[in-house]
Amino acid sequence: MIPLELNILLASTMFTIGLYGLVTQRNGVKLMMCIELLLNSANINLVAFSAYQPNVNGQVFALFSIALAAAEAAVGFAILIALYRLYGTIDLDNINAMRW
Amino acid sequence: MYADYAYLIVALPVLAFVLCIFAGWHLPKGGGFLTVLATFAGFILSYGILTEIYPDKIVHQSMPWFANFNVGILIDPLALVMLLMVTFVCTLIHTYALGYMDGDPGGARYFAEAGLFTAAMLGLVYADNLLQLFIFWELVGVCSYLLIGFWYRKPSAAAAAKKAFLTTRVGDVLFLAAIILLYNNLASLNIALKPGEYLLQFPVIYAHIVQIPPTQLTLIALGLLGGAVGKSGQFPLHVWLPDAMEGPTTVSAMIHAATMVTAGVYLVARMFPLFYAAPHGLTAVAAVGAFTALFAATMGLTAFDIKRVLAFSTVSQLGFMMAGLGAGAAVGTVAVGVSIFHLIGHSFFKALLFLCAGSVIHAVNTNDMREMGGIGKYMKWTMYTMLIGSLSLAGFPFFTGFFSKDEIIVIAYEYGTLINFLPYIFLVLAAVLTAIYSFRMWFSVFTGTARSDYSKHESPWVMLGPLVVLAVFAFGFGLVAQGSFYEYLDTNFEHYSVDFNQLAAIGGHPLAEVATAGEEKATVVGEKEEAEKSTEEWVTAEKGAIEVEKEPAEPWYIQILPIIIALGGILLAGLFYWDRIKKFDPDQVTGDKDPIRRILLKRYYQHEILTGWFAETIVYGIALISNMIDIKIVDGWLNWLSAWVLGFAGHVRKVQTGVIQNYIAALVLGIVVLVVVITLAKEVGLV
Repeated sequence: MIPLELNILLASTMFTIGLYGLVTQRNGVKLMMCIELLLNSANINLVAFSAYQPNVNGQVFALFSIALAAAEAAVGFAILIALYRLYGTIDLDNINAMRW
Repeated sequence: MYADYAYLIVALPVLAFVLCIFAGWHLPKGGGFLTVLATFAGFILSYGILTEIYPDKIVHQSMPWFANFNVGILIDPLALVMLLMVTFVCTLIHTYALGYMDGDPGGARYFAEAGLFTAAMLGLVYADNLLQLFIFWELVGVCSYLLIGFWYRKPSAAAAAKKAFLTTRVGDVLFLAAIILLYNNLASLNIALKPGEYLLQFPVIYAHIVQIPPTQLTLIALGLLGGAVGKSGQFPLHVWLPDAMEGPTTVSAMIHAATMVTAGVYLVARMFPLFYAAPHGLTAVAAVGAFTALFAATMGLTAFDIKRVLAFSTVSQLGFMMAGLGAGAAVGTVAVGVSIFHLIGHSFFKALLFLCAGSVIHAVNTNDMREMGGIGKYMKWTMYTMLIGSLSLAGFPFFTGFFSKDEIIVIAYEYGTLINFLPYIFLVLAAVLTAIYSFRMWFSVFTGTARSDYSKHESPWVMLGPLVVLAVFAFGFGLVAQGSFYEYLDTNFEHYSVDFNQLAAIGGHPLAEVATAGEEKATVVGEKEEAEKSTEEWVTAEKGAIEVEKEPAEPWYIQILPIIIALGGILLAGLFYWDRIKKFDPDQVTGDKDPIRRILLKRYYQHEILTGWFAETIVYGIALISNMIDIKIVDGWLNWLSAWVLGFAGHVRKVQTGVIQNYIAALVLGIVVLVVVITLAKEVGLV
């Protein structure tokens, strides 16, 4: 069995990559991808803990989380498409109509 | 039984107002008959109350309103005669208006406003406390504004309405100040009020006048007088009354005879004990009244507009009433009866004169007397009823105006013997002028030859009927009612615990000196007797003193002077204006260059002084300065503060970049800092 520490290391690496992407990237699609990374790092943690402490609750939570992520992605991409139609770009720096 | 329904006297005209304003368009004649019926029902009720309480009872109903105030109805002799007069005269005027306003597109609005006007005046008359009186007083002002500006599309009518409202408002502010001052004084006395008694109720005020400091009394009296001066069109706030002619003639009749200008006189009569107790209170009333009487009469001499002649005559006659009340300083409460008698008589013949003028205007379609002349041939009824009105106004013997005006002049003479002869002289001169201008008007309208091409027809009977009824009263009321009227009104203040000898002592009136002299005499007589006996003696001695004081009646020439005045004035007017006995031509006696004539034609340059100089220079200047203070200081610091806040916020809001990445970076940074701090704290051992 893979030690727990390795699982957590994987999860935190994915989380850090996602966070780095969120802070540095301007492209809407890339941001969505980074958010997926954050979510899935959490999912890995859930599954890992559930395996080490024999209890299926964690895996059920992970399933819920995946379903929610799918819904969130659908809404997010719908917003991005709408933005694209309006502005002709999904570079978030150019979308500043409600900014001061 | 009637007294239980006293509230209906006001409620019914208000109901008529509501019905007319909302449903008047669907009713024949704009629903005017509703107003007539409501007012007439008020007259019936008032008459019923008269039969119930005459001669020695009063009606007093009251219920709590809020805090220290109540609403209530107080019908004492003073209020009762006013109620009867207002409902009676208003019924006739409204009936006349059914004919006069026929075909006017605003008919429903007219009758609605007229109904509210009547209701407001009636509410004012039988209010049992000053606050309620003031509320109705203001309502009267609003209605007068609406009715004077009835033809609001005409700029002059709109201006006149505004002028009336603003001018009376000057007085109203003083009135309100007087009420507040009176309330403060009464409140500081810590009166133990019985249940159902409130501070501003008239009985409570009457009972506690003696405890208020005299200087305060004078201030209150002057404030109240200010209100009365505004409402009753006394100098210097009389300017709105002649302009108020812009409304329909029936409105003028209502304002001048029954509903509005009498309110000021009524207020002074109602607060007579306070005026009596206030040092110089009645002197001020007498001075204002006498001056106005003469001042307005001179202007009435030269006006060409028939309604303006009547308007100046009203101002002048109101001056008579005020002077009559002022003469109360010498004769006591009799003055109230005398003055109110003139008020009632005046309302009959002035309503009659206005309605006759309306009848003439209805036929001729102009107000200018220079374009009339010889109308008598075509309007017999109008001519003779107006003759009765003019005779009554001029004070022809045995007409109503003769008795009432004569009595005022007589008590002004008594005031003269005790205090000052000036009011008497002013009133006598004004009476001469009254006779002259009223017959100048009558002769130049009805006699002679037509001076312009006018339509020659008599008015319909719905208009002539009220004229005839009013003419009967303008002729006979004085003769019939004189004696019992004075007696009845003399009992007015006996219903309240008010001791006029005490008040006279505070006010420093000659009567008080007589009374105290009598007291000394009585104590000398009663030295040997017991204390109770001596007070009894005191009362009889005092009565004797008053009788002694009244006994040296006016010399015979004072007694018959009013008759000479009336006849002489009428004759003089005839010599100038009646073609049968015409001896002088007015234009030749006084040329255009005559300075007096020019001053009178210009009406003492009042417009130039009051509007041109006072309003446009001083008031406008003060307004400019106030405006500057308002903009620069009052608004200034607030604007500066808000500008500063705005500028500061403009800098601060840059923090909110709207870029998500910045927020995330800040978030991560915050978490890192937190983690570091917590870890360090753990290392050190704080947590």
